[in-house]
Amino acid sequence: MSFETWDGDDESAAGRFVPLYVLVNGRTAPRDSTLDLATQVVALSVDTRRLEPEYLEIVRQCAGWISVAEIGAYLKLPLAIAKVMVDVLVEQGYLAVGTPAQQRIFDKSLLDQVIAGLERL
Amino acid sequence: MDRTSVKIVVAGGFGTGKTTLVASVSEIPPLTTEEILTEASLGVDDTTGVESKTTTTVALDFGRITISPDVVLYLFGTPGQDRFWFMWDELAQGAVGAIVLVDTRRLDSSFPAVDYFERRGIPFVTAVNRFFGECDYTEDEIRGALELDPKVPLVWCDARDKESSKLALITLVRQAMARLKVKA
Repeated sequence: MSFETWDGDDESAAGRFVPLYVLVNGRTAPRDSTLDLATQVVALSVDTRRLEPEYLEIVRQCAGWISVAEIGAYLKLPLAIAKVMVDVLVEQGYLAVGTPAQQRIFDKSLLDQVIAGLERL
Repeated sequence: MDRTSVKIVVAGGFGTGKTTLVASVSEIPPLTTEEILTEASLGVDDTTGVESKTTTTVALDFGRITISPDVVLYLFGTPGQDRFWFMWDELAQGAVGAIVLVDTRRLDSSFPAVDYFERRGIPFVTAVNRFFGECDYTEDEIRGALELDPKVPLVWCDARDKESSKLALITLVRQAMARLKVKA
């Protein structure tokens, strides 16, 4: 098995004996650079039996839409690690991604919605 | 199937009430997420030639407001220490804008935040937190001390009070919209 084709599966089904940086295959940044702390993800209904326990925990958190920051907070994962792990899961078809916060917001109707939502609080 | 996220940054100097403001409007108790940094040690008298590194943990507090079934707003407090600027970049990217909290006992502690958003052209409002008691300064004096552009709104607030925090947030989103109209 070469590291290039590593698919999140290996033989050690035991607990967290694997350092986090090994778990993410040494990656330090997500491939999808639009993934940010506030980006929402949700689990897709696919077979998760081949997933490592650490990845499975993330998929379980994503039964409803949830942000990368919340996943990091609930699972006590450093943000950089949470982001890369979420990215791996998106890439492999376990999670769907919502629309990220935009670089520049040109959408007046979105801001209108935000104001209305805040007023309702 | 989609979900859009919207971000607002809550900035200000150490102890200006950032997490208090987030808590007053968030639908969940503020969550803390951590980033671990590796920093080269500043020690220079190390004769072995072995580089030593230390890790620092930066904590970020954030809250959530569900705007509609399709839109969720996240409020991110900036790390207390000003030296973690790269975290600010990540938080500010794609944000609607920022609320800069000001503690009138230490006006200067919020100056780096004002400077940061001004330089990057990110919409922001200053919110003077009255939590600490009566304010000895007038609005003009605060504007002067922070070198605020006249177009930057200044609101008085009590970060513990939901209505007050809401007002600061709404003022910010309106400010972002006004910018949109100018550009269009």
